Amino acid sequence: MLPDRLRVSKRVLIADDDPVMRHLITTIIKQQEHEAVVANDGRAAYRILQSDADFKAAILDMTMPFLEGLDLIRFMRSEKRLMRIPIMMITAEQDIKLMARSFSAGATAFLPKPFTPEQLQSAIRMLLGNRQSKRIAA
Amino acid sequence: MSFEQIINNENQEMNPLAPVLAGVVRITCDAVDMELLKGFEDLQSDDGSDLIVELIDLYLKDASQRVLAIREAALANDWVLLKRVIHNLKGSSASLGVHQVAETCKKLEGIECEHSPEGIGELLQQMDNDFARASEALTSERQRRLQ
Repeated sequence: MLPDRLRVSKRVLIADDDPVMRHLITTIIKQQEHEAVVANDGRAAYRILQSDADFKAAILDMTMPFLEGLDLIRFMRSEKRLMRIPIMMITAEQDIKLMARSFSAGATAFLPKPFTPEQLQSAIRMLLGNRQSKRIAA
Repeated sequence: MSFEQIINNENQEMNPLAPVLAGVVRITCDAVDMELLKGFEDLQSDDGSDLIVELIDLYLKDASQRVLAIREAALANDWVLLKRVIHNLKGSSASLGVHQVAETCKKLEGIECEHSPEGIGELLQQMDNDFARASEALTSERQRRLQ
């Protein structure tokens, strides 16, 4: 058995207040043989991240109650144990400034709605294959 | 001629249900992008569940609560809450192909509620109508898939 520091996590944190998106992303994550850890809003995601860093990636909604996706990214990038986790930001806005702000805060990928199921699927696949080495604008 | 044959009959002059079907198809296509919805079929699992039915159920439950919350926020002149809920409804509607609801939400988001709330009533009515039509189309698709 590999020591913890060499083991690659198969868990993905999903933070979204939209139940449709949560179910959709969870389905795709499971299909790609990963485990989904779900938070219904930004505060719930923050609480999970305070005590748990065992994630291969995080998929965050931009606009959530209590704590926005951008704040969560900034928190993750400020914590040594979380800073290498690739993050995809999902947003209802097709706004280039928002994309710039997300990347500036430390997002790895940015996916604006509306997107097709294929686009979502391939963006998640790219995120899970990503090692925080490059940025993805889906 | 069986019902199946009538449905599949492309020659509308020979099809006694053509006017009815044309109306149904028009409403369905206007309200929901069925092609986008059917794109989720590729994500179906092998456990016998229907992902599209699950997504429709989640959307109808969540969106109807959000539509109500939007109405309540407008009545209470709570513009911050109103904009937030509208934004959420726009996102969930867009992701399921409910484009008209998403489009009306976008228009509502653009209104400066604090300064010119005049146009809100009309757009809220529009949103109610759009959502009612989308619900009808989604419910119909749900029933079709469960048959």
